[in-house]
Amino acid sequence: MNLKSNWLLKWVFILILIVGLLNLTGCWGKREVEELAPLLGIGFDLGKKPGTFLVTQQFARTKKGASSGAEVEARSFSVEASSAREAIEKIAAVTYRKPFMGSLKVVIIGEDVAKEVGFTNMLDFLQRFSEFRRSMYLVLAKGKAQDILNLKLRSGLLPATAIKSNIESGDELSNFPTVRLGHYLTILSTKSTSPILPVIESVKSGEGIEYKAEEKNQPEEIRIQGAGVLHEDHLVDFLTDEETKGYMWLDNDVLQRLISTTELEETPKFGGHVLNSTTKYKLKTNNGKLELQYQIKTSLAVDQILDLKKQLSGPEWVELLKGAEKSFAKVIEKECESSIKKQRELGCDFLGVGRHIEQKNSAYWQTIKEHWEEEVKDFPISLEVQVTIHHSGMSSSSAVNSTGEGQE
Amino acid sequence: MERISPHQFMTLGAAVLLGTTFLPVASMVTGVSGRDGWMSILPGMAVGIPYGLMVISLLEQYPHKNLLQISETLLGNWIGKLIGVLYILITGYFGGLLLAQAGDIYQSSIMPLTPLGVFYLGGLLLVFYLVSSGIEVFARFSELIFPLIVIALVLNVGLSIPRIEEGGLLPILSEGILPLLGGGLKVEPFVMEYILFLAGLLPFLPNNKRELGQFKTGVWRAVFLVGIMDTLVVLIQILVFGPAETIRLVYGLLVLGKMVEVSRTIAGVESIFLGIWFGALVIKVSAFFYTVIWGLETVFSLKGLKWNLVVGVVFMGIAVMYTRGPSLIVEIGFVDDHLIFPFASIWVLTLWGVTRWKKGTSGL
Repeated sequence: MNLKSNWLLKWVFILILIVGLLNLTGCWGKREVEELAPLLGIGFDLGKKPGTFLVTQQFARTKKGASSGAEVEARSFSVEASSAREAIEKIAAVTYRKPFMGSLKVVIIGEDVAKEVGFTNMLDFLQRFSEFRRSMYLVLAKGKAQDILNLKLRSGLLPATAIKSNIESGDELSNFPTVRLGHYLTILSTKSTSPILPVIESVKSGEGIEYKAEEKNQPEEIRIQGAGVLHEDHLVDFLTDEETKGYMWLDNDVLQRLISTTELEETPKFGGHVLNSTTKYKLKTNNGKLELQYQIKTSLAVDQILDLKKQLSGPEWVELLKGAEKSFAKVIEKECESSIKKQRELGCDFLGVGRHIEQKNSAYWQTIKEHWEEEVKDFPISLEVQVTIHHSGMSSSSAVNSTGEGQE
Repeated sequence: MERISPHQFMTLGAAVLLGTTFLPVASMVTGVSGRDGWMSILPGMAVGIPYGLMVISLLEQYPHKNLLQISETLLGNWIGKLIGVLYILITGYFGGLLLAQAGDIYQSSIMPLTPLGVFYLGGLLLVFYLVSSGIEVFARFSELIFPLIVIALVLNVGLSIPRIEEGGLLPILSEGILPLLGGGLKVEPFVMEYILFLAGLLPFLPNNKRELGQFKTGVWRAVFLVGIMDTLVVLIQILVFGPAETIRLVYGLLVLGKMVEVSRTIAGVESIFLGIWFGALVIKVSAFFYTVIWGLETVFSLKGLKWNLVVGVVFMGIAVMYTRGPSLIVEIGFVDDHLIFPFASIWVLTLWGVTRWKKGTSGL
C-alpha cells in the first residue's frame, strides 16, 4: 500500500512538473515592449454629437534615427466616443501597436467638458482599469484639451511629458496645486470640500512672454498658472494667479516660493524665496462666534532689494529686514485674503474649511454640515502670518554710491 | 507522528491568521467604523488570545487529540460526529472560496489575460504538494515565507507614506466608541479561521509543560503581530485614500502598491508584492485543506492520497463555481460572518466550558 502511494505521489509530482513547464515558461498574455504603444496623455473635450466626448490620446513612439530609444515623438489621435473605453477601442483599431495605459502621466480635462457636462464618468475607466495608476496628474485646460496635446513645443518635448515635467518641478515655485487622480478622488469623496485642478494653457509669443516661434501666431509654449474650482465634477470658476497662490499658503502646500513686495506701495521693495513654510489652523471663539484661524509661519531669504538708496549701518540693516518681514507678511495676507474672498463669492469650499472644522470640532461640524454650502459664504476666517527672514543673501546694503564720491 | 516546534507553531499560526486578510480588512472595518476603523483591529484580534489559550488548555487535558476527537469524548459520539461534519463542510467550502480568490486578486490586478483556471491549478498544485509533504514541511514553508510577507507589507506601507493626505485620521472617535465594536466584530471571523486551524493542529503539538507555555506565548505573539500588521494596513489606506475611498476600493492595498514610486524612477513594484502575497494565499488555502483532511480522517477514517485528491477536486470545483468576483467577495463575507464566526466561537467555548464544568463536578 505504501509502495503504491509512493508511486502515485511520484506520478503526481511528475504531472506537476509537466504542467509547470507548460505554463511557467512565459507570462500568459505577455506583451513585448516593442509591441506596445505607451499612452502618455489623454484629453477630454465635448464631442459634436450630444452625449459624446472628443477624446485625444497621445502616445509615444521612438524617433526615427534617434541616438537612443529614449528619444520619442508624439503620435496623437482624437476620436468622438461616448466613453473612455470606447475611445480606446476606436483608437486601438488604427494603431498598429496595442495601447498600454500603465504609462499614462497626464489627464487633461477640456474647459467645455468641465463647464457643461462634468467628467466623473470619463474618469471611472481610469480609476477602475487595473493598468492605470492613481498617481497620474489631472489638469484643466483653458480651451480645448485637444489643442494642448497637439501643440508642437519649441522644447521638442511631447506636450504630455512637458506638462508632467512642469508639474513635477512645480514644487520649486509652489504656484499651483499638484493634483493626482487619487487625491482628486479623495477630495471628491469628502463631500464638503470642492476639488481644485491646476490650469494649463498654451502661450503664444506676446501673451505675457515673448519668444521666437517657428510658425507665426502659433503657440509653442505651455504654462500652468491658476486653478479651476469644481463643484463635484463641474467647473464653477477659475482662480486667478493671486487667488491660487493664496490657496497654496492656506492649504500648507508651499515648499519653495519666489515672493516679491513690488505690488506694495512701500519702499524699498523686496524680493525673496521661501526656505520653508507651514500652515496650521485652529478654531477659536471670537465675539462669541467660532472662527477658523490660519497660522502661517514662513522662513525667507531676501535675494533682491530695490530702491535702497544709501549704505546701511548694522542696526539699520537689522531694522530694514524687520520691515521686510512685515512687507512679506502683507503680501502673503493679501494672497490669502483674495483666495478666501473668492471662496465666499463662489460658495464652494475649495479651501477645505469644512474639513478643518470637522477635524477640530466634530460636534460643532455635525450641527452645520447639512447647510455648509450656505455657511461657507460667511464663516469667519482670520489670518496670522509670521515671516522670519533668515538672511539677505551675499550683501547687506545695495550697491549705491552713498558718499557721493567722484560726483563733483 | 510529526511534531512542530513552538517557533514553527507561532509562525505557522501567524501566517494562517494573516493569510490574505490584509487585502479586504481596510474596506471591511472602515465600512463599519469609518475613519476610526484602524483602532478596531487590535481589540478585535485580541479575542484570538483567550480562544487560543482555551484550545491549548484542551490540548493540555487531552493530549494528542484534535478538537473533533475531544468533542466526541466530551459531547458524545453523535454530536461529535455532527460537529465534525460541520467542520469539514465549512472549512472545505471556505478553502475553495479562498482558492477562487487567488484568481480574482491576480486577474483583476496584474494578470488580466491569464485564465482563472491557471491561478486555481497553480495554487492548488502548491497546496497539494505542501499537504502531501506533511505538516513539518508546511510549517517550514511558513517559517520561510511569513517574514517575506511581512517585509512586503511593511515596504508597501512605508513606501506609501509620501502619498498621505493631511489630517486623514481626524477627527478621532467623532462617532464614539460604538462603531469600533462593529469593526472589531468584522475582524472576529479572521480569528476564528485561525482557531479552526488550531483545532485540527493539536495532535502535532508536543504537550510537555515547558512547550505548552511556549505555545501559549506563541498564540499571543501571533495575534499581536498580525493585529499590528493589519492595523498598519488599514491606517495607511485611511491616511492615503480617506475613509470613503478606502471602503470603495475592493483591494485597496493593491491600489496602494500601484502608487508606489521611488524617486520618480522606480514604479510598478506591485507585481513583486503580489508575487510574495501568493505565498500567503497558498498558506491559507493549505491550512483549510489540512482542516478538511484532518476532519475526514477523524470523522470518517478517510485518509491517504486518494482522499487528498478528492478534496483537491472539491476545492477546484468550488473555485470554478465562483468566477464572478463580486459574488465571490460577498460569499466569503457570508461564510466568515455567518458560518465560521458563530461555529468556531460557540464550539470552542462550549468544549472549554464543558471541561471546566466536568472538572468542577469531579472535584466535588
